[in-house]
Order: sequence, then C-alpha cells, then structure tokens
Amino acid sequence: MRIGIVCPYSFDVPGGVQNHVMDLAEALIGLGHEVSVLAPADEDSPLPSYVVSAGRAVPLPYNGSVARIAFGPVSTARVRRWIIRGDFDVLHVHEPLTLSLSMLAVLSARGPVVATFHTAMTRSRVLAAAQGVLQIVLERITARIAVSALARKVQVEHMDGGAVEIPNGVAVAKFAGVEPLPGWPGECAPGAGGTIGFLGRFTEARKGFPILADAFVALAPHRPGLRLLVAGPGDPDDLYGRFPAELRDRVTFLGMVPESDKARMLRSLHLYVAPNTGGESFGMILTEALAAGATVVASDLDAFRRVLDGGRAGRLFPTGDAAALRAALAELLDDPEQRGALTACGDQVVAHYDWPVVARRVIEVYAAAIEATDGRVIDQEWAGLGGAV
Amino acid sequence: MPHLWWALGGAVLVALVVVYLVWTAGRVARLQARAESAARALDAHLLRRAAAAAVLAEKRYGVELYAAARIALDAAPEEREAAENDLTRQLRTIALDPADPACEAVIAASRRLALARQVHTDLVRDARAARSRPLVRLLRMGRGHEWPRYFDVDDPTLTVPAEAPAS
Repeated sequence: MRIGIVCPYSFDVPGGVQNHVMDLAEALIGLGHEVSVLAPADEDSPLPSYVVSAGRAVPLPYNGSVARIAFGPVSTARVRRWIIRGDFDVLHVHEPLTLSLSMLAVLSARGPVVATFHTAMTRSRVLAAAQGVLQIVLERITARIAVSALARKVQVEHMDGGAVEIPNGVAVAKFAGVEPLPGWPGECAPGAGGTIGFLGRFTEARKGFPILADAFVALAPHRPGLRLLVAGPGDPDDLYGRFPAELRDRVTFLGMVPESDKARMLRSLHLYVAPNTGGESFGMILTEALAAGATVVASDLDAFRRVLDGGRAGRLFPTGDAAALRAALAELLDDPEQRGALTACGDQVVAHYDWPVVARRVIEVYAAAIEATDGRVIDQEWAGLGGAV
Repeated sequence: MPHLWWALGGAVLVALVVVYLVWTAGRVARLQARAESAARALDAHLLRRAAAAAVLAEKRYGVELYAAARIALDAAPEEREAAENDLTRQLRTIALDPADPACEAVIAASRRLALARQVHTDLVRDARAARSRPLVRLLRMGRGHEWPRYFDVDDPTLTVPAEAPAS
C-alpha cells in the first residue's frame, strides 16, 4: 500500500504527535508498505529518509499553547505537489482540525482520507465560530481514529461522528533491550534497598508528584537504601527543596532525558510510580514502563485502570492517597514474587500496544477507507492484513 | 455611469452565486457517491462475514449458526438488519478460538465489518446533512439518487478472551 502521512507539528521540536507519527511510519515500513511523511521542518535539520519537509514552521499560539506549524499559500502548493507526486492509496492526517499542513492536505485530497485525533480537545470558541468551514474539512475525511476513549468521546459528542479507538503504540523492542543506567537499580531486599522512579513534570499538579514525595518521605527512614530516581523538565532546587535535608542524597534528578535515554531510565527501576490525579486520557507512560519491564504502581484513574487491565498488570492505589501509596510501595519492594507476577502480566498487556500490532489495526482502517471510496473489498494479502489482532 | 456600476455589481453577484451553486452541487454529488460506495463495501463485508460463519458452522457448532448465516445471506433488504443482528447474537454465544483458522476468519470478518459499518454510518450522515440543506432541497440537487439510508445494526465486534495471544 502507498501511504502518505501528514504531521502538523515540526519535527524540530519533540512532541507526542511527532513521536506517534514516526513510530507509526516505521512500523508500517516494517510491514512492507511504502510510506512518505510530510511535516514542517527547517531546511537543514536532519530527517529520517521517509520524511519530506514542507518548509519552516512558524510558532503560532493555538488552543492555550504555542504550536509550530506551517500554513499558507506556499505550504498549500507544497502539500499539493507532495500529494500528486506520492500517488497515495490512502492519506493519513493527524490533528486535521488545527490550522496546519494536515488541514491543507485534507482540503487538497481527492482519494480516501483517514484522520487521527490525538487531543481530547473540546470544541473551542474559534472552532465553534468556524463550524461551516470545519464541516467542509470533516466531510472530506473518510474514516476517523481516536487515540483514547476520551478523544473518541469528544468526536462523538462534539464533532458529530464516530471514531475507531486505536491506542498509542509503544515500540516494545526499543524499551525491552536496553541497559539500565550504570549503578542502577541496585539491591532490593526485604526491608532495605530498592529504586522507585518518576518521569514527567514534577511541577505540574495533575502529575501528582507531591503524593509520591510524601510517600517517599514517610517510607525512606524505615527503609535504608531506598532511592528515588526522577526525570523530567524542571529546576533541581525546586525538586530537592521538597525533601528534608537528610533524605536529599537518596533522591537523584536526571533533568530532562532525551527519548533515547527514557528506556534506560525506566529499566533502572524496581517500581515505576504514576501518582497522577487526573487529566490523563491514555497513560502512554504506563505502556512504556511496562515495555521496559518495570513494575508499575499507579493511581486508580479510568485510563490507568484500563491500561493495567484492572490491576492485573500493575498495582493501583486510591488516587491522591499518599498513605496507601506508601503501603503499596513497602509491600511490593518486599515481595519480588508479586513484582514478578505483575511484570509477567504486564508483558502480555503491552504486547497489544506493540507498534506492529497497532499498525495492523491502523491498516484495517485504511482498508475500510479505501473500500468506502471504491465500493470494492480489498484482499487481505494486498493490504498486509494477515494475522492482524 | 452609475448604471454601469450597478450592472457590473449585479454581474459579479450573479457570477458568485453561480460559482457557489456549482460548488454546492459538486459537493452534494461527491458526498452522495461516497455514501453509495460505502454502502456497497458494507454489503460486501456483510456477505463475507455470513460466508465465514457458514463455513465455521459446517465444521462445527452446527445447525443454529448455519441457519442464522443462511438467513443473513438470503434476507430481503427490509429484513436484513434483523437477520444480521441475529447472526451477531449467534456468534456471540459461541467461544471462538483465535488459533483455529475458521474461527479467526469469522473474527477478522467481524472486525472489518465493524469498521465498514462505522465508516458507512459517518458517510451517510454527511450525505444526509448535505442533502437536507434548504438550498439543496429547493433546487432538488440530489434528485436521481436515493435518499441515503442508515444500516442500523449492533456493533458486530466479537470479544476475544483477554488471555488469547495478540496475533
């Protein structure tokens, strides 16, 4: 199949949508498809061979944050040229409702269009005002994918249409094979030792870091050798200031880790803790921690419960309850067998999120879109559908 | 001179209206054609699922499933939705083993049918929305085509036991 994928955000800055697009493209190529990705990027930035640059991206404030996107007559011409040259069987755009390459591609497309909606963005005022324009974009889309139950709900309630829910994938091979950081995770014996970890913005309230900090402060004096490994953007002084002076040497802050070191950080842990208090639509970090083979302790949010298979693949604790988290940590650190049982189940769960498996489900949506345009049913062999989930 | 300006303005206005009407007619025709294609694809997937179910029924699970599959294959258009729902219900009562090729064929056909149904519903909704606009109705732009119909069946996705291997 010849597939054209449009990413609205620049590859020059890291981001969830960009990672999703790259991993999906690589998984599709791995399954034997021809893939071309169109994305804004600076002329001189290094890009994978399957990415075509649509020119520089301009920072624009959008929906409460700054997005680097490309839009305008020059971009329109480039999108058109790319579509004509590509001669794609299906066009797959991401976040088509942002003013971006994705929207331009949808408006220039003639064949089947599949759109993936990432954010659980509710209808903004700008969107409401542009309802007529929006309808023109939406009605050119043949099939819609939502990456989370929440994103799907927005589709159904606000955009007046259904969507197929296909979760974010995780490149299991990238996470499972790497070496831990030197000197980690160290010893973990009953009553002593053990490494627990946290990845993300510890300054952001909904990530729930204070809950983990409280649990750590309560547990550490009773458990010699217990260490906390934190990675994410933020000021080190702000982080260490949250702990009493005598515990500070047992907290290690890595700062912002690049994507390639994320797997190593997750491999360096006995327990990964996700103390989030809400606002998570999917729980990508949990699938990554599971892929890295860490035992997961997470708050009992809908999204997390779903990923952890109701608690079989990781321990759930009542959201926001530091005492319960402390008890769960103490119990799991003392019990390697229980940790082993959780990670074994985690391996099974994460196999469903492995990119090749997720990509096969996406291909089925491509097939449905092509069929709905053509009126003919596609052979499994041609579409590479054999053995899909 | 003023007359000339009026005439020019009028001509521009008429031209704009004509452009808009041509564009709208194209849009209605496109959405209508797409809804019809989606209906053909949905029809093909319904037949595929019923055929796969019949094959499975011949191997095992027997008479009831075979009857449901046959009825779905032979149903008249007005009875088809009910017949397909019956087939979905029959398939749900049996434990399907994804390791068995005949079962896997039914599971795969159901999964792709679910996608076809979803896409068809969305495209029919778009076509109906376009055709029910007042101007489109007034100028009877969609005439010559049937009013796009929904195909109202339950979600045919079959749940496979969670312990089953992923592929």
